[in-house]
Amino acid sequence: MSDAVADRPKPIVSRFDPRFEVTLYRHVGVAGSHTLPYYREHGGYEAAKRALTTSPSAVIDEVKTSGLRGRGGAGFPTGIKWSFMPPADERQRFIVCNADESEPGSFKDRYFMEDDPHQVIEGMIIAGFAIGATRGVLYVRGEYYLAYERLREAIAACHAEGILGRGVLGSSFDFDIILHRGAGAYICGEETALMNSFEGLRANPRLKPPFPAQAGVYGLPSTINNVETFASVVHIMAKGGAWYAAMGTDDSKGTKLYQVSGPVARPGVYELPMGATFRELIFDLAGGPTMPAKAFIPGGSSTPMLPWTDETLDLPMDYGSMAKAGTMLGTGGVIVIPEAKCMVDAIYNIVRFYAHESCGKCTPCREGVATWLPKMYQKLLAGLGTREDLVVMEDMVRNMRGTAFCPLADACAMPVQASFKYFRHEYEHLVDHGEPLHARRDWWSA
Amino acid sequence: MSAQLELPTVAPFFADKPDLLVEILGRYPDYGRRSALMPLLWEVQRAERHVGEARIAEIADILGLRATEVKGVMSFYSTYHEHPVGAYHLQICATLSCSLAGADELYDYLSEETGVVNGETDREGRFSIQKVECLGSCGSAPVLQINDDYYERVTRSRCAALLEAMRADRLEAPWRERSGDTDVADPVAARADGSPSGTGGAP
Ligand SMILES: Cc1cc2nc3c(=O)[nH]c(=O)nc-3n(C[C@H](O)[C@H](O)[C@H](O)COP(=O)(O)O)c2cc1C
Ligand code: FES
Repeated sequence: MSDAVADRPKPIVSRFDPRFEVTLYRHVGVAGSHTLPYYREHGGYEAAKRALTTSPSAVIDEVKTSGLRGRGGAGFPTGIKWSFMPPADERQRFIVCNADESEPGSFKDRYFMEDDPHQVIEGMIIAGFAIGATRGVLYVRGEYYLAYERLREAIAACHAEGILGRGVLGSSFDFDIILHRGAGAYICGEETALMNSFEGLRANPRLKPPFPAQAGVYGLPSTINNVETFASVVHIMAKGGAWYAAMGTDDSKGTKLYQVSGPVARPGVYELPMGATFRELIFDLAGGPTMPAKAFIPGGSSTPMLPWTDETLDLPMDYGSMAKAGTMLGTGGVIVIPEAKCMVDAIYNIVRFYAHESCGKCTPCREGVATWLPKMYQKLLAGLGTREDLVVMEDMVRNMRGTAFCPLADACAMPVQASFKYFRHEYEHLVDHGEPLHARRDWWSA
Repeated sequence: MSAQLELPTVAPFFADKPDLLVEILGRYPDYGRRSALMPLLWEVQRAERHVGEARIAEIADILGLRATEVKGVMSFYSTYHEHPVGAYHLQICATLSCSLAGADELYDYLSEETGVVNGETDREGRFSIQKVECLGSCGSAPVLQINDDYYERVTRSRCAALLEAMRADRLEAPWRERSGDTDVADPVAARADGSPSGTGGAP
């Protein structure tokens, strides 16, 4: 190794690194932080102003330098996605903000929109400028009523101050945002289903290609990103791509929001540099489990669970490490599963969720996810299952992998497969004895 | 079958709300008029607690669609209702993190107290119950959404108090729950104070 490499500062991979500072979430929970005066007092819209004095390609380059990957779950590099937009022509283009957050275990985007809506708007302005879109669509899930109200107020305030509309922030760039509410359907988080939903159609996913860059909202060139992705872009423009890239691991840069739920002392949303360990998140920040734990779901309900061991807790939370461990970072929504919870019941809860949310468009998902799999679980939990049923179930989920129209079927199959991998004995106990290894109990606190 | 013919003559919902209609339609580009479908449905749902046949026909008319097209979209989503929900529409998150915090017991309790089960509205039109999926509030589970508002960390005693308040028609605005970074003012300092730090394994 050359000296130059040895001299390079070590990347920031822990919240406790003195160089780390909370950036994305520093205003969440502060009274009044959702207002425009508060936001501007804290440097709001300066990053957009700066971006608007450069060029779209300079903004895209900065985002590429940062190494930012999409925070909606799949982790696609943001700068690269933006450069997929076709050359400008006379057609309207759209930048779309995916605020449909509904993957169980995920709740980071809501706090942004409730407490820091301007950060999201500022990110959309920057992204719109970068891809040449003068219109934005902000699709917020229907249940997030307070978020919707806060965003509406924020957008109105921006109009009053020349931040949205003609000549954004005194520049020659025009930009406006259409705020649209969903109405309770998880599938609307899938990018093309979201576009159909926005257009007033049933929210079935579309066949890809064409990708949104070619034919997105109303069939026009569009780019879609997650709420947190937009918020990250603000700080990348404010502090530079290099600042961002100094945090994290080789394939995962920057700072990210993680969520912890389940029985831990301090559940909630925590911002950490990428590459920090589960242990740091679950123990140092969230205070550790309040009862013995046996597994955790690393990134929202669709990501395969990991058993609760010293090795898994010491895994760095980044895209590559998760892939190596056979799972995914997803939305960063960690769910701790206590020892006393029947694993079959826990997974049935997840299966039931996907069954409810299957849109019914394609056969593997409609028959597998929405019909047969939940029925098999009901049979097992009623004490009527057999060892053969387990084999049938494993076979069924194998056949659901990669065969459906959109990834929803995989999202359902993966947690099932992981539960069979690590907790088959609980299934076997249930079918052999007709009763779960861990009896149903009362989880409600006084 | 002939419901279409026997429609009671109700005044059109949007007839006396031209400004609202113009505002909603004006949100979308001309070629995207159909996008107004969801917001129109929502206005009716909110005002009348359901979207009835006459309203469906009216919205279809406004947008130049057929009633079946409107119904097709409406039925896709869980927050538009064909039949009126109660004055207090109790939506209980039944998904994993909430279930681990007592959502199943919460449901049983509310169902027993109000006398309605999932999907039903009581005779007086006061309470209705709907089991819903993850509300994005898993860190402050269990969550009960009453009409538009989230009530979080609904413990047994909080739930009883909420129910009492609803029965007396003096339900208060929800308390605000924030957790995680906003709870721990300075987690680095918190650790120095000797609070739990990475010891690992089951406690
Ligand atoms: C079934 C399904 C549900 C999804 N739900 C969401 C969601 O709620 N929010 C989100 O940002 N992305 C969601 N996604 C991912 C989006 O399709 C898309 O990849 C993402 O919005 C892109 O943004 P990003 O590049 O910033 O991550 C979902 C994907 C699938 C297949
Ligand atoms: S599981 Fe209930 S809010 Fe997420």
